[in-house]
Amino acid sequence: MLSKRLYQLMLLAYPRDFRLDYGSEMTQVFHDCHREIESGGLATALQFWLRIILDVVRTAGVERWETLGKGREIMKRTDVTGLAICVAIIAVAFFLLGYGRKHEVASILLFGHALDAIVTAGVIGNLVVLLLVKMKHLSQFRTALWSLLIVNGALLIIATLIGNAVDPSFNFARLFVGYLVSFLFWLTIHWIWSRTNTATQSVA
Amino acid sequence: MAKNVLTMHRASIYRLVTDMAKQRLDPEKLLPLTSSVFHILLALSDGDLHGYGIMQEVAEHSGGQIRLGPGTLYGAIKRLLGSGLIVETDQRPDPELDDERRRYYRLTDFGRQVLKAEVQRISKLVSVAQQKRLLPKRT
Repeated sequence: MLSKRLYQLMLLAYPRDFRLDYGSEMTQVFHDCHREIESGGLATALQFWLRIILDVVRTAGVERWETLGKGREIMKRTDVTGLAICVAIIAVAFFLLGYGRKHEVASILLFGHALDAIVTAGVIGNLVVLLLVKMKHLSQFRTALWSLLIVNGALLIIATLIGNAVDPSFNFARLFVGYLVSFLFWLTIHWIWSRTNTATQSVA
Repeated sequence: MAKNVLTMHRASIYRLVTDMAKQRLDPEKLLPLTSSVFHILLALSDGDLHGYGIMQEVAEHSGGQIRLGPGTLYGAIKRLLGSGLIVETDQRPDPELDDERRRYYRLTDFGRQVLKAEVQRISKLVSVAQQKRLLPKRT
């Protein structure tokens, strides 16, 4: 009974849909196989468990990969374009920030906090939004709203803690405005992106 | 007018549909089969079996060399169902001895064609091996 429970725990390694379709049958088959080796010694039991663990590791990986593959298939042209635009914005912001710091351009450095926030929150936030939308099929705008709020908030707290500790001239207000601008900027991008997706779906 | 257009295009529509069906149901396109898929199809060629039955049959006809794990077995079953090589069946071979929770699987006609094509492919390889004197020729 304990071995059956252990195997059921191991089944969590498989994608949810696969578990729902075949989980109970796999447990039944495992139970049948386990009955065969019950009369054997410790070496037989170890060999059996090694085979089962290797089977789970190998096949759960394959099933997970296939699930991700399905996600890639449903990636529409608008998604690819949106993703490319996000990457381009991050690259431009990163370049501007680097250029401003290197040449000490006052007008760019004025927006330094906002650019900093757009780059860091953009990389982390967009990755979180993309994974959640594609793997969990959640609404893009709502996911973006909450993910970006959490990511920008978390980064603001981390930057405040570090800034307070290392920089005597640390200015919280500037940092706050920077992350607020970043949040609103990325949210607007995702709003446009989700509107484009909806328009494409209604045309299709 | 619409009827005339339909009559004109009937032949090309028919050709398109049959071509698509042929392309879809061409057994050669699925070859070579993976070892686990081949053994599962071979196990089902004698009749309907449930998962554990397939496992036992595979172990038996491979002389114990191939022992499928539950993950390998059901991963392959999922793909075989998806490509129409096997189907799930409600008929129970022996209702009295049977556990109702088990699902039985049956080889489809297309699955049998694929299995035969794979056996022929292996057979050709065996012939080549015989010509190269890697195997004794069958008498």
